Amino acid sequence: MHARITTDRLRWRWLSETLAALVLCLAPLASPAVGANLDQLPQRWRGDDGHLIELSSLAGRRLVLTMGYARCHVICPLTIGQLQEMQRRLDDRGEQAEFVVIGYDPENERPTDWHAFRTSRHLDRGNWHFLMGSRSDTERLARQLGFDFWKYDEHVMHGMRALVFDARGTVQVELGAETKDWAAAI
Amino acid sequence: MFKQVGNTVRGLMLGAALLGGGTPTIAQVANGEAAQLAELRQKLDESLKMIAALNARVQELEAARVPAPVAAAPAAPAEAQRIEVVETKVAQMEAANASHVADTTGLPMHGFADVGVANHYSWNPDLKGFNVGNLDFYLTPRLGDRTKALFELNIETDTDGTIGVDLERAQIGYTFSDAATVWLGRFHTPFGYMNTAFHHGSWISNALRRPAFLNFEDHDGILPVHTVGSWLTGAVRGDEGKLLYDVYIGNGQKIIGGIIDMRSAGNEHGQPIAGGRLGYEWTGGAVDGLAFGLHAFSSTISDDQLPQHDTRVRVYGGYVVYDTDRWEHISEVYFFDNQDLSGRTGSHRSEAGFLQLAYRSAFGVPYLRYERAALQQADQYFAQQAYGASYWRAAVGMRFDIDLKSAFKLELANTHITDRVRREYNEALAQYAIRF
Repeated sequence: MHARITTDRLRWRWLSETLAALVLCLAPLASPAVGANLDQLPQRWRGDDGHLIELSSLAGRRLVLTMGYARCHVICPLTIGQLQEMQRRLDDRGEQAEFVVIGYDPENERPTDWHAFRTSRHLDRGNWHFLMGSRSDTERLARQLGFDFWKYDEHVMHGMRALVFDARGTVQVELGAETKDWAAAI
Repeated sequence: MFKQVGNTVRGLMLGAALLGGGTPTIAQVANGEAAQLAELRQKLDESLKMIAALNARVQELEAARVPAPVAAAPAAPAEAQRIEVVETKVAQMEAANASHVADTTGLPMHGFADVGVANHYSWNPDLKGFNVGNLDFYLTPRLGDRTKALFELNIETDTDGTIGVDLERAQIGYTFSDAATVWLGRFHTPFGYMNTAFHHGSWISNALRRPAFLNFEDHDGILPVHTVGSWLTGAVRGDEGKLLYDVYIGNGQKIIGGIIDMRSAGNEHGQPIAGGRLGYEWTGGAVDGLAFGLHAFSSTISDDQLPQHDTRVRVYGGYVVYDTDRWEHISEVYFFDNQDLSGRTGSHRSEAGFLQLAYRSAFGVPYLRYERAALQQADQYFAQQAYGASYWRAAVGMRFDIDLKSAFKLELANTHITDRVRREYNEALAQYAIRF
């Protein structure tokens, strides 16, 4: 009896996951990010302390990733505020996650700019990573994860968005300006 | 039976996945994307119908409660494993597809637009009512790591209310290093702060409009805001800030019909505008967000009068900016030391400046601005300009961000024109600005 119930459950799971997989086929029409994996992304990034870091080395815990630029005074402070609230909520529950902010504008910003950003906003915990890469890697990662942006001289036009990766490094949740409570999603 | 149907569905699913997640070439995407999409949707519709049928069949079987063979249990982990493999493959193909699709988008079209309503039009107080502001297209084709290009094509309302098209900026540049990029073409003259921090897109600035004396030449500006020439610019970085520099040379401008023209095809007398700017910006530490700079330029600017006036325009000044997540304070000052080279009116000193205070709050960005220009009317450089009168203006405004791409701005202002024709008027302006 137990074996039969297990089999039935698996059939249902199979059907639901087949449907989910089919929906994923249409993902380019909706969100290109969900289902993406850290391993598929450009790997070489430099932290605000100047050290090189491989993105996949952060897998193993939940990870929240966003993009920003250090001189942004409009959208990025809101995004960082949401991430800080997520961190508070996780702390309350005794859970852990990695927070990754990747710079949109490697041509005009340096790790020292992000270090100043981290310091001025008291984001000094070790699970917060402010990363910068080459222009091509930055654009490639943005494309793969659906971070739409363009530059207007030294301004970066971008949205408010973050992705939550599971411990296997796969994108599970996409958060945006329309998401009221980001912290509830993790 | 389940296995047969399962294989069929998985085949369809993988087919759909391949359609959605394949790696088409640029030409294929360009020519057959619509057809592929239609085919994909058709396949998906078929698959969904099959799933619905399967679902019904499973329910039917469950209702019958036929005992499952004991041997089915060992097959379950293998089935689950296969599902996981398929899931992973679909995700990988999807991610690859996303990047390939984005690669074929060519030159993206971005820009700004605004419309508004006012009891006095922004730069022509004789006009009132609804207005079309700017439709500003911004093009930055990708040319490689070192060669850059930037074009800003603006469709705008002219001072007489007609619509005109202007290539506001056309720059092609080469980056030697982080500390040096040289541009050739038409650019925003690097003086002060606002002229190179904010360009033609209204959405980008918190205030509804520029200070009048700093406005664009074909609106009511009195400075050569655009230069056609060459511009060397760069930054030298330190731990908590960066030193910014600009050096430029270009065609000396000419006043035509009361408006400064930047002589996009060269000028008649061959005299240049030349200048530079030096600034420092803190990017960390206790004064993070503070910046200041000094600037100067000299240009020989003629007019279209008979006899023609040639004025050597010398301008120097500075700016102080405090720009943080909370505050946006900007102040600029300009001193004019002009000499009539025709020898008829001599030398003249004038000045202009503004102070703007803004606070970024959760509900919007309120701002205050005071601006003033004391311009010698005996100076032919100002006398020949349509908007060369002295004035002062006090304004209070507010920016509301409706969403991440649109903003609604309000401004109330009181303007006094203090020479030529003395005049005072109160303004109420509203603007709806977007980026795209």
